[in-house]
Amino acid sequence: MSRSLVFALPLLVLLALPVLALALGTSPAELWSGLAHPAFMPALALSARTSLLSLAIVVVFGTPLAWWLATTTHRARRAVELLADLPIVLPPAVVGIALLRAFGRRGLLGDALAAADLELAFRPAAVVIAQALVASPFYVHAAAAAFRRVDTELLLVARTLGATKARALWRVVLPLAAPGLLGGAALAWARALGEFGATLLFAGNRPGLTQTMPRAFYATRETDVQGALALALVRAAAAVVLLFGLRSLPLGTAAPPGVRR
Amino acid sequence: MRPLRHPPRLGQPLLLLLGLAACAEPGGPVVIEVFAASSMTDALPKVSAAFERAHPGVRVRHSFAGSQVLRLQIEEGADADVFVSADPAHLRALRESGHLERIDELAEVELVLALAPGAPPLEGLQDLPRVERLVLGTAGVPVGRYARALLDAATPRFGDAWREAVDARVVSEESNVRLVRAKLLLGEADAAFLYASDLDPGEGLRRVPLPPGLAPAARLAAGRVRGDDARATEHATAYLAFLRSPAARSSLAAEGFTLARETPAAPR
Repeated sequence: MSRSLVFALPLLVLLALPVLALALGTSPAELWSGLAHPAFMPALALSARTSLLSLAIVVVFGTPLAWWLATTTHRARRAVELLADLPIVLPPAVVGIALLRAFGRRGLLGDALAAADLELAFRPAAVVIAQALVASPFYVHAAAAAFRRVDTELLLVARTLGATKARALWRVVLPLAAPGLLGGAALAWARALGEFGATLLFAGNRPGLTQTMPRAFYATRETDVQGALALALVRAAAAVVLLFGLRSLPLGTAAPPGVRR
Repeated sequence: MRPLRHPPRLGQPLLLLLGLAACAEPGGPVVIEVFAASSMTDALPKVSAAFERAHPGVRVRHSFAGSQVLRLQIEEGADADVFVSADPAHLRALRESGHLERIDELAEVELVLALAPGAPPLEGLQDLPRVERLVLGTAGVPVGRYARALLDAATPRFGDAWREAVDARVVSEESNVRLVRAKLLLGEADAAFLYASDLDPGEGLRRVPLPPGLAPAARLAAGRVRGDDARATEHATAYLAFLRSPAARSSLAAEGFTLARETPAAPR
């Protein structure tokens, strides 16, 4: 075993042990009871719906942001980068309070939203907003890194061959950056699915309306440990499947042509 | 990347682990761990401070949460000496499983319907469907269980349509009474079921009159958690006795609790 791995051993044990304990402490019957738990299906459906929606928001608005961050020399780049990373360093509970302060009834936009007859807090929309906010840095970060690795000369070549800038971006840059974008999107999706703290404060807890998988697990945990364990097992199994699925995506160990390594 | 000039030494991570292990407190004063229902968040520290003054060398450390959460923690071996719950059912369950040794009734506290500052006024419970956003405790936390009991008792009087309209107003189920109260104070909810002890006149929460005889009273009771540390058990016993002392009782009364009996209940 290499020496670096020896030094990494405590971390590896820390990573493996809890998952192992979860798997060893439960039986297939319990996994099944997790699937059959009354809180499970509504929470899963809500989690799937909201996390895919927030992922779409993050990708649609995060991609142009990442491209700008990767290519600009503007003075404001540093500040924007900082802003984009902020949700990673803010504790989720702080994000939740901040969201209430912004979009809540007595928040900055409270009156404007009320005038527009838009209610966000305690609605599925609140779940989506919280998820998109905490997940976005993971996508923007990865996407900006992927764009930076694309050889900009290829873009110039495409332009000299008569492609419009939009066409060159779409046909040249996006395919080259795709593995990085996909990886970032997967991370962001996983983060959105796991989002708990900000949702807890901003969206509340109502089964079928705002109770996502992590929240359902937490609520069940308070009164029904076995049920919560079963839910946790199902969730962990789903995460492993998701992870394997991502690994099998063409996220590229070999660099496609035109990508600088 | 530059090669590392000094390879990392094994000693550092080990020291770090030792440091983490050393976070446990050494010697010092005897500490009793009191796990208490969230409804006691304001009242209990005052009582405990008086207890500490009367018992130099003993410190009381509190842990507040919904009774159902604390019960679970005790079942899983949390290091509690005393458990104060807003629902005797949790105490009885713990006694049956051998975690609690004795149970004392302490006080009662009334369930109230409270309105957020600035929310439109309500004449009474019959108007509850008029609120835009109602918050309850979860079915597991005492304040949520009592609120559901109240709604169940009121349903024959006001009708099923009333109940459906009320249920449709529930926007969130919170896991303890303090979180329920926070939703009102933040102005995010209009109405919620709380305890009378959670209404601080300074905070502008208003009480909606409830039909007499309908509002259930939460019964606060305390128990000693079984432990093998004789000294901790002795202090926990003293603390339980203190909770039923005149000083503690008047302190609880001042916080909006009603005292269960004129004479302190005998241990059961």
